[in-house]
Amino acid sequence: MDRTEVGALVQSAVDGDAAAWKALVEGMSPLVWSVVRAHRLSEADGHEVYQTVWFRFAQHLGRIREPDKAGAWLASTARNECLKVLKAMARLTLTDDPRVLDRASDERTPEESLIASEEAADRAERLRRLWQELDGLGERCRQLLRVLVSSPPPSYVEVSAALGIAVGSIGPLRQRCLRRLRARMDARGAA
Amino acid sequence: MSGYGDDGMPPEGAVDEEAADRLVEEELRQAAAVLDPVPDALRQLALEAYALHDLDARIAELTFDSLVDALPVRGVMDAPRMLTFRAEEVTVDVEVTEDGLIGQVLPPQSARIEVLGGPQTVRPVTVDTLGRFTSRTPPAGPFALRLRTGGAVIVTEWLRT
Repeated sequence: MDRTEVGALVQSAVDGDAAAWKALVEGMSPLVWSVVRAHRLSEADGHEVYQTVWFRFAQHLGRIREPDKAGAWLASTARNECLKVLKAMARLTLTDDPRVLDRASDERTPEESLIASEEAADRAERLRRLWQELDGLGERCRQLLRVLVSSPPPSYVEVSAALGIAVGSIGPLRQRCLRRLRARMDARGAA
Repeated sequence: MSGYGDDGMPPEGAVDEEAADRLVEEELRQAAAVLDPVPDALRQLALEAYALHDLDARIAELTFDSLVDALPVRGVMDAPRMLTFRAEEVTVDVEVTEDGLIGQVLPPQSARIEVLGGPQTVRPVTVDTLGRFTSRTPPAGPFALRLRTGGAVIVTEWLRT
């Protein structure tokens, strides 16, 4: 989302405009969700982190120092909560396998069913394969791309806050990861 | 991000490469939206969270979290989570166990305290005159404490345990 727009929406939400809050949720939920997913939390933990982030955002709404950077605030809050979960897990035994959750599920989501018409089947298959290949890219690339491809596209400041990496390193890393992904898709197509 | 040089002239072949990068990035964005969307129930909770926006309440910030600030004790895997929240002169210490919450308001004073479990969930807890309180229900998910003491309303930062 555009930063000026975000700042204005935060201000309106502070002033009691529920529609502005809704626009913030719609516009930034995918970013928060992508941070949760990038950290491979279990389903239950991921849901709780997402909720915690939004509850805390609502709580701090009128006190956020730079409202136009609310996206970065959300992203870094999500990251911190994810790291806490991982830290708590490291102290306990690892019981469930969070990787399972990153796989595309076998059940079709309603969004998927919409594009499941015959002519769109090839397209859907390509997206599914891309999503699978993302998993094989290595952790740094997988994390970066998962956050980078949330909708609407996040700013590099937001990506930096989400993953704790320098803004300046995002561009080069993005390029390397996308090329690696393309190479994997090409290899798969040739096989 | 464009891949263009400082002189504004793209190096040979770089335009095609960058265009292909952008294309695959957009495909991934579609894939994310289709294959891993924000669950509807979660988005709904975020919408409802607007009710938690309360300009009249002071926020007690988390100043200590044993998960982050304490050294792990070797061999002790299920040490209770110790939390400290502070809003100016008022401090709230909370211990989270499997059985619920045990806490203390400092300086000792009577207060009315509720455990919030989300936009819709509020549960009062019993507090003695010295500000000690106990909740027999462990938080299921994110929680915050709302304190009313001497005319002030204080809410602790939302946290998951």
